[in-house]
Amino acid sequence: MNDFLFYVIASAVALLSLLAVTLPNLLHGAIALVGSFFATAAIYIMLQMEFLALAQIALYVGGIVVFMLIIILLTNDLGVDNSLSRVSAGRQVGKGVIIAGFITALCLFFTSNPSLLLRTTEHRAAPVSIDEIGIRLLSTSNGFIVPFEVISLLLLAALVGAVVLSRRENKTEEKEKP
Amino acid sequence: MMPSSAELYPVNNFIGDLVRSIFQQPAAAVINGLLALLSLMALVGSLGAVLIFLERKVSAHFQLRFGPMRVGPHGLLQPLADGIKSIFKEIIKPAGADTFIFFLAPLLPVSAAFLVLAVIPFDHHLQVADPAGGVLYVLGISGLSILGILLAGWASNNKYSLLGAMRSGAQMVSFEISIALLMLLIVMLSGTASLRGIVLAQEGTIFDWWIFKLPFLGIVAFIMYLVASTAELNRTPFDIAEAESELTGGFATEYSGISFAMFFLGEFVNMFVAACLVTTFFLGGFHAPLFGLPVIDPLLNLIPGFLWFFAKAFLIVFLYMWFRWTFPRVRVDQLMYLEWKIMLPASLILLMLSGLFVAQGWVG
Repeated sequence: MNDFLFYVIASAVALLSLLAVTLPNLLHGAIALVGSFFATAAIYIMLQMEFLALAQIALYVGGIVVFMLIIILLTNDLGVDNSLSRVSAGRQVGKGVIIAGFITALCLFFTSNPSLLLRTTEHRAAPVSIDEIGIRLLSTSNGFIVPFEVISLLLLAALVGAVVLSRRENKTEEKEKP
Repeated sequence: MMPSSAELYPVNNFIGDLVRSIFQQPAAAVINGLLALLSLMALVGSLGAVLIFLERKVSAHFQLRFGPMRVGPHGLLQPLADGIKSIFKEIIKPAGADTFIFFLAPLLPVSAAFLVLAVIPFDHHLQVADPAGGVLYVLGISGLSILGILLAGWASNNKYSLLGAMRSGAQMVSFEISIALLMLLIVMLSGTASLRGIVLAQEGTIFDWWIFKLPFLGIVAFIMYLVASTAELNRTPFDIAEAESELTGGFATEYSGISFAMFFLGEFVNMFVAACLVTTFFLGGFHAPLFGLPVIDPLLNLIPGFLWFFAKAFLIVFLYMWFRWTFPRVRVDQLMYLEWKIMLPASLILLMLSGLFVAQGWVG
């Protein structure tokens, strides 16, 4: 049952991601992307990574896709005459052969050296609670306090930069007025 | 001595036990899940009718009118008549509109409302699912309704629709920041991000609800949450997205028949969902409003929790309607000013002050 569900979701992820990059209409591609984000969240839930799934939905579906949509909506001539340039059949086949060869090589490598695989079944990661993530993020020993602070500094710099950029426009407008 | 929550609200899931006694285990789990989804669908459907009727009646009485009176006693059957009418109405797709997106968009706000209702704790054991990060889930899913509005505006191939959708998108994205910060405040106080855990953290008398338990700041946070959620819902005074005088109907201009009804339903059920969240975060969820009095408290506890929950939620819904029919609409720049220069700094300061309160042990 679980395996069956995994294959259904995984094929949905693959299909929707393919659609997201091949659909000629950008907006249709964005919708396919939303679908693939949701399916990825479902896979995270199957792997018992609840927080990651929720963060995936909150950040990507709730935030990033909305901004992408706003950008796409501001684009001119959307879906009118912007289909992708045609790629010759030979190139398509070539890409397919290269990818298939790569995946076959990977499978052969890991079947001959199974010790290199992550042993997921032996010590399956216990479901990580939000508390643990928070404590790990902010603890000084064995934690991620330094990257956390660096990210907050970066975000602050971006925020200040945005304010400065919008300020400058206002000043030029004021100068033009008199 | 307060009775513990297990004594007050014993675990009795009659229907679930019945299904489990009839069917074997794997089938029973599936059937119980389906039953839960079915009851949510029934809730969404009936809520739409009730809320639209309420809105019309409330607005009428605010304006010294009667509102719908002809269909059924006091117009009670009016939502039914409206529903049947909109089902049989023709859906007109504008020329040059994107067919797929045009018909997909009205479904998204309703599905968002439906998905959030699945994690709302209506009563001690009346909750479809309780993810540990319920607050995150609520935040993420509410992005779907923004998506629906943006897509509807674009797919209509109409300048009014697109302008309305862009305004609406900008508004919802910006006010979501304040909402997220205030949710973070509640998560910090409760020590958990699961919605049921947040309700359980407010167990006790009325003074244990977060609106009162956090001295002074609780009421400020409650009012700020109300304002931010009104903006997030695109309701007057913040309904610049469908300002009739400027944009005809905003993103829904080109929609008719059942597609328009879906937008309407989504809007109203989302209002109820926001009220449910306010109830959960600030008003003690399904807990009865106890005062610590010996005789009255057991009587109040006799009333089932979901009735308390719905009473509180509908009180908040009435507040939203009151706002809508009292305040004039703000301008776009005023709205953005309110969020970025007042609400955002205020919620950050509130968050820091509450952190101080928690650290000093001044809560409760």
